[in-house]
Amino acid sequence: MGRSIDEAKKGSAEIVILAIVEHESHHGYEIAKLIERRTEGGLRFTLASLYATLYRLEDRGWIKGRWVEKPGLRRRCHYRITEAGRRVLADQRADWARFFAALGQVAGVKPA
Amino acid sequence: MTSRPDWKALVLEQARRTGAAALAQHAVDELAAHLEDIYLDARRAGRSDADARRAAEAALAEAPLAIVPASRSRAPEARPHVSPPGRGWIGLGGDLRFAWRQLRRAPSFAALAIATLGLGAGAATAIFSVVDTVLLKPLPYRQPDRLVAIWETNAGQALPKERLSPVNFMDYRALDRVFADAAAWWRPEASLYRPGSDPVRVSTIETSANLFQVLGVSPQLGPGFPQGGPFYSREQIAVISDRLWRQRFDADASIVGRLLEVNDGKYAIAGVMPPGFHFPDDVDVWLRLQWNLTQHSRGAHFMEAIARLQPGVTPEQGARELSGVSGRLGSQFAATNRGWIARPVPLLDDMLGYYRPALFVLLGAVAVLLVTACLNIASLLLARATVRAREIAVRAALGASRARLLRQMLVESLLLSCAGTAAGAFGALALLKIAIASMPVDVPRLAQTTVDLRLLAVALAIVVGTAVLFGLLPALVLSRTQASEALKDGTRTATGVRGRRWNRALVVTEVALACAVLMASALLVRSVSRMLSASTGVKSAGVVSATMQLASTGYPTWAKVDQSYETLLATLRAQPGVTAAGATSMLPLDPGWRLPFQIEGRVSQPNDYSVAQHICISSGYLETVGAALVAGRTFAQDDRVDTEPVVVVNQSFARRVFPDGDVLNHRIFSSAVNIGPLGRNVVGRGPFRIVGVIADIHQAPIGQTGEPVIYHTTRQFPYRPMTLVARGSDTPALTGAMRTALRQLDPTLPLSNVATLDERFLARTAAPRLLMFVLIAFAALTGALAAIGVYGLLACLVNDRRRELAIRLALGAQPGALARLVTLQGLGLAATGVVAGLLVAQLARGLLRAVLFRTETTDLAAIAVTAAILLSAAALACLAPALRAARVAPVEGLRSE
Repeated sequence: MGRSIDEAKKGSAEIVILAIVEHESHHGYEIAKLIERRTEGGLRFTLASLYATLYRLEDRGWIKGRWVEKPGLRRRCHYRITEAGRRVLADQRADWARFFAALGQVAGVKPA
Repeated sequence: MTSRPDWKALVLEQARRTGAAALAQHAVDELAAHLEDIYLDARRAGRSDADARRAAEAALAEAPLAIVPASRSRAPEARPHVSPPGRGWIGLGGDLRFAWRQLRRAPSFAALAIATLGLGAGAATAIFSVVDTVLLKPLPYRQPDRLVAIWETNAGQALPKERLSPVNFMDYRALDRVFADAAAWWRPEASLYRPGSDPVRVSTIETSANLFQVLGVSPQLGPGFPQGGPFYSREQIAVISDRLWRQRFDADASIVGRLLEVNDGKYAIAGVMPPGFHFPDDVDVWLRLQWNLTQHSRGAHFMEAIARLQPGVTPEQGARELSGVSGRLGSQFAATNRGWIARPVPLLDDMLGYYRPALFVLLGAVAVLLVTACLNIASLLLARATVRAREIAVRAALGASRARLLRQMLVESLLLSCAGTAAGAFGALALLKIAIASMPVDVPRLAQTTVDLRLLAVALAIVVGTAVLFGLLPALVLSRTQASEALKDGTRTATGVRGRRWNRALVVTEVALACAVLMASALLVRSVSRMLSASTGVKSAGVVSATMQLASTGYPTWAKVDQSYETLLATLRAQPGVTAAGATSMLPLDPGWRLPFQIEGRVSQPNDYSVAQHICISSGYLETVGAALVAGRTFAQDDRVDTEPVVVVNQSFARRVFPDGDVLNHRIFSSAVNIGPLGRNVVGRGPFRIVGVIADIHQAPIGQTGEPVIYHTTRQFPYRPMTLVARGSDTPALTGAMRTALRQLDPTLPLSNVATLDERFLARTAAPRLLMFVLIAFAALTGALAAIGVYGLLACLVNDRRRELAIRLALGAQPGALARLVTLQGLGLAATGVVAGLLVAQLARGLLRAVLFRTETTDLAAIAVTAAILLSAAALACLAPALRAARVAPVEGLRSE
């Protein structure tokens, strides 16, 4: 594992977002709410960091944003995972699985 | 009710504050949407508005936005709201569509702006098309800018523009380093006789043979006067106009060489001039000069002349050379020429006379009207600035450059000015045709007014000029709007304040311009009323006049002429409704023949004005027009050809020639006896004894000082063409009586120019009155625009200050005091404008003087009326805003916005 802790954290943020949009597209606010709900408040993005992450993922081609307009509503950008994103997510999942397995063995930590 | 927070603006503000000025557009949109969701969720959860808002704001404030990068993959979508940044013509279509939508959104503003501009542009187009035709188009002669009219002036006798002495003319003509050539003519009274048809009076000049060569115009038919032929000749030949040829001779192609009977002569027709040629004004017959101009008097001024300047000689050089000659003649022939200076005037200026400065005044007034209209629209646009400031701020924040915003706003202005100019110009040109057709005065060349490419170019210039004029300032003010202003609610934004400041300046300028035009029209009103009330020396009410002529064919001898007029007047006096009747060679306001005279037994003194007007009148004329006898008697039936020659003089004559007062019974030698066309008439050879003095009858154009006049009786100095006058209470009856009397004398004689004296006098002021009415109309329009400007500004100011006013009310101010505050503010603006306007009017002093009669541009009454009218209009404009200020509810001061 050559990655620093920060990078690990950053990586964790990315994997969380990829996971949220894996099956359904969501706009930014939904993504934030879903993360909050699914982590029961354990993981929170600031506004700036959420969108910074989303744009980074999009630039890498892992997610794709699409503007959706609905009558009477402000238009919103819905994000959805791309094929490249799925491969990265799968890789990361495997990585994290191995990481948690190691942690479990060494420190008795179980993945959530 | 509070409005929803503007999330985008919040985001932009936070971005600016946290160093993320370059935040991508899509990011702004998403963040704003995000904040809105937080807010809406909180509201749904039952939290208060302020609470929900704080939640959103807290989320925004949590981290600096600088860390948010633009998503490169979505760059093409970066600015969804703004059309692609336009350079050059690209994006102009979008600008136009946007402008159209903006105007559609504010239809009453657009309508008001288009109507205002239409008025200004319409008036400008109409006046310009007239100015273009009348002033700017060259005369239809060869090298018309080389042509000058020549007049003589005598400052000492207050004679600004007189005809030339024929002898003097020959001296001027000899000045060949100045003039290539010069032609002169005089105007005989002429009737045209033709077997089988009634005689008609035709406008005729007897002219030197070189007239058409000097002008550079050739006849369409026939050779005309022989080229290079004699200057004058006893051989009688004539050239006729195209109009006369068609009307009287059925355009007979074999007309050349046939005989034309004019008065008592038979003239061989030598040519037909081209259609539309009637030089010098409305002439139909040109007779070749039959006498030697040098065999006349230097004191008799009755010739008109034009000259062609040598190449390279300017009219100013010509004037210097001419006055040199005049000065030499003045010392050489002091008795007749002292004080007389010859003056060349460019021919077109001369033909236009009063209309030239009048049209310039109108052009100035219409320009002021147009500018005022533009300022009005500019202040309307500025008033809307507050409303639009936030839109502009957002667009600026979204990345629109200042140039881009300016362009967008100028496109809007252009759209407005196109619509306004088109509406105004088409309306004006349609109305112009009607106006020209119903014109009460005969403005030279006016009937030729047409719409052409030059006018189109002017209209285009008006469109662009006005759009820049009224669009640029609001656009500059608006485009300085800061993004941060979009955050602020209410009207007290920096844009609003800046806009109001400019608006004040605009309104003051409007008032000043209106004041200048109003001042000009007030001066014209004063001038015209002075002209109308100027003394003519006669009681004109109830007097009808008409001209007639006894031709030499039917009335070959002077005895016959004299007897016929006596019979005619006796018949006329016997007609029912006629209380008095007489005849004169010159009506009031027309100068008589100016001829030298001498007092019997007196050596000519250097200071002695030895030239007086000579006028022939019948007995009964002075009584008919109501002239006042000062001393002696008027002419009686007993003053006949076989009795002692007598004259009556006017008071100016008495004062100048006999300062000691002893006038009666002196005897006069008149040069009229010896000279030219007049001399043939004189039966009594003189000397003439002065038997009476009358109060001055004004025998000069209105505004010129009175001159010495010698009145002869027609019995001793008969004259064929005369103007009949008859007094009575019933005008139609008088006209009928004249016709009856003339028919009894000779049924073939025509009676022409039938009009009351009042009508004739009124016609003399027609041009200034026309100018006055048009100026008043322009002044009313400009004044109304200025008043609307004052109203609009005050309404805005009161609206801005509602809170302040409400607080003042709550603190115990009287509503009346608030109304006064607003009114004083409005009047202060107006007063500033009035003072500036009066100064502006003085700048146009030179131009105004040319159209004014005995009225200074500092005329106090005109200034007072101008100021009073404008201040009243301003007070009226203050009324509604003042009332609104007084009715502000105190509770408004407590409101949060």
